[in-house]
Amino acid sequence: MNQPSSEKSKLDLPVSLRYKETKREKTGVFFKKKVGWLFVIVSVIAITIFNFYPMVQAFLLSFQSGMGGNLEYTGLDNWQRLFSDPTFIAALTNTSIYLLIQVPLMIVLALIFSVLLNDPKLKFRGFFRIAIFLPCVTSLVAYSVIFKYLFGVDGIINQFLLNFGFISETINFLADPFWAKVVIILAITWRWTGYNMIFYLAALQNVDKSIYEAAKIDGANAFQQFFQITIPMLKPIILFTSITSTIGTLQIFDEIVNITNGGPGNSTISISQYIYNLSFEYTPDFGYASTVSYVIVILVVILSILQFRVAGEKK
Amino acid sequence: MKKFYLMFALLISLAVLAACSSGDDEANGASGSEGSSGADSITAWAWDPAFNIAALEKAKEAYDGDVEVKIIENAQDDIIQKLNTGLSSGTTKGMPNIVLIEDYRAQSFLQAYPDAFYPLTDVINSDDFADYKIATTSFDGEQYGLPFDSGVAGLYVRTDYLEEAGYTPEDLTNITWDEYIEIGKAVKEATGKNMLTLDPNDLGQIRMMIQTNGSWYVDEDGSTPNLEGNESLAKAFETYKKMMDADIGKIVSDWSQFVGAFNSGDVASVPTGNWITPSIKQAEDQSGKWAVVPMPRLDMEGAVNASNLGGSSWYVLNVDGKEEAADFMLQTFGSNVDLYQTLVKDIGALGTYSAAAEGDAYAVEDEFFGGQQLLADLSTWTDEIPGVNYGLHTYAIEDILVTGMQDYLNGTELTKVLENVQAQAEAQLK
Repeated sequence: MNQPSSEKSKLDLPVSLRYKETKREKTGVFFKKKVGWLFVIVSVIAITIFNFYPMVQAFLLSFQSGMGGNLEYTGLDNWQRLFSDPTFIAALTNTSIYLLIQVPLMIVLALIFSVLLNDPKLKFRGFFRIAIFLPCVTSLVAYSVIFKYLFGVDGIINQFLLNFGFISETINFLADPFWAKVVIILAITWRWTGYNMIFYLAALQNVDKSIYEAAKIDGANAFQQFFQITIPMLKPIILFTSITSTIGTLQIFDEIVNITNGGPGNSTISISQYIYNLSFEYTPDFGYASTVSYVIVILVVILSILQFRVAGEKK
Repeated sequence: MKKFYLMFALLISLAVLAACSSGDDEANGASGSEGSSGADSITAWAWDPAFNIAALEKAKEAYDGDVEVKIIENAQDDIIQKLNTGLSSGTTKGMPNIVLIEDYRAQSFLQAYPDAFYPLTDVINSDDFADYKIATTSFDGEQYGLPFDSGVAGLYVRTDYLEEAGYTPEDLTNITWDEYIEIGKAVKEATGKNMLTLDPNDLGQIRMMIQTNGSWYVDEDGSTPNLEGNESLAKAFETYKKMMDADIGKIVSDWSQFVGAFNSGDVASVPTGNWITPSIKQAEDQSGKWAVVPMPRLDMEGAVNASNLGGSSWYVLNVDGKEEAADFMLQTFGSNVDLYQTLVKDIGALGTYSAAAEGDAYAVEDEFFGGQQLLADLSTWTDEIPGVNYGLHTYAIEDILVTGMQDYLNGTELTKVLENVQAQAEAQLK
């Protein structure tokens, strides 16, 4: 184990020093490694016990089925059941809709906000940055409940639309399959745009101003600067935020449960809520619930690979 | 210097490890004393401080045994989660001795964790309780639950609105749902108020309707979905659609809108479980304007004017201290008539212990309901509720039915809808 890496460290040294290693230095390297392992060993053990072991167990669980504690292996039954389970298909479809509409919308909004707020000539920059970031500090449940009441039949949104004559009678947003989804998407976008914006703002600090100056001298307008400089420079961060947002949206739970509770019908139910329902709402079937959980794992892996392929460095 | 670092690293890791292990000890200690300390103390879990917890406190006062009773309040969802995770992991540490379980969920717990509950067959006499509670609290010939609150349903009506439309509460007594809809139309015409609230995501309305005819989502066995060809269910769906078409329902989407609707006087009646009484009484200015009549029935042979919504029962877990817990249950909710008098007087909790209904507290005239002997009426109706086995899948099937109802309201043919939901339920509930 130690040999190849010490070989490598030797190669890093200038040729003149390569063969002049003292004994003291050798034990030093060895010693440092041991100490290094000591530092990480605790977390390695903890991660193995509390992360990897449950993951393996959950995978085994996904091949079992039965009520509560009476689980037995049923082979691939759970996986076949997925494809004929209308609730699962509804949950998967809804989650995909959230993902396809909400993540791009949020990323684009976050990009626009960050570029606008990065303008050094802008007054009250700090205020606007805080205003847009503030939603991220709110509790998921608290803001969901507020959204629910905003969009209620007697809610302020309906009052507003009525008073200004946009609609003639109130819309029951949360009881309509289409509008309920719109409300969920609006809610998540409101909550998470500022969070992603912070990443872009931070990344923009590292973009060399002289590039923009050069572009201006060459006659590039603001749009060209945005598409030709800002976006390529932020590419790694865009990749990072879209992967984390994808994972976050695939696991969406709090907002759905609190705003619509999956309704009307199953028209807003998400995969995570279905997992919860299978485990705690209905007669518990932890085996099938963990099969559905593994679908999320598989989706995250596939989508992350896809995003790396599309946007990542071609190494 | 390096030695110093090594020492430092060791110290840190030792500290971390020590912290971990001491944390474990504490956790074990705490859960041990909660659940399995045997004869010294027993723990009880329940939800709703104004109702179930208050009832437990009263029971604790009435109990004169040596065992200390610890009452812990948890949200119902949390109790379900904790029981499920605890029981399925096979450890009884941290589990309570007594737990309250909603009747609709009872069978799924009893069947999913067969050895986790302590049978009370020899402890209490199940004949002492309302009949309809027994099927859902027993399993495999053993009585596991001690039936607690009655979910007996009533039709709460606004007498002033009815009067405006030319009706008296007597006109709504022992009627069918079809007659109810006709009255609803007249009331809406006369007062502009909706007759009732409807929540398309909560089919409690449907559940109450089909139980008037002794029917449920599942067969007698408690697990086979009984949707397609279930005439009561078909009738209930038709009635629900008639209400929608007659435009006599105010659509609500959650509990607070539901309560808000009748507290602000937007609806002329509330068909629901008797546990709504405290919420109805919140609107003090409406005192004297309410009456409660028996639940309308489905317009079918055999249907009765009595139904149920919700309700829960006490269960003793099969852990150390189970004998003490069972004894506590017997001495209090299982036999103490005076306790039930206190419960109705102080917290308005209506039990299902039959002997208790003889007491004075049940004969009290309630001014809010125009001097009606509400509790006495409710207890009478409790005895008439058709008993059904709620079985395992009430909520799973209801989620499927909610989508079915949407399709039906949007114009799909009823037989087709019920065929679909039956197929879905069979696929999902293996």
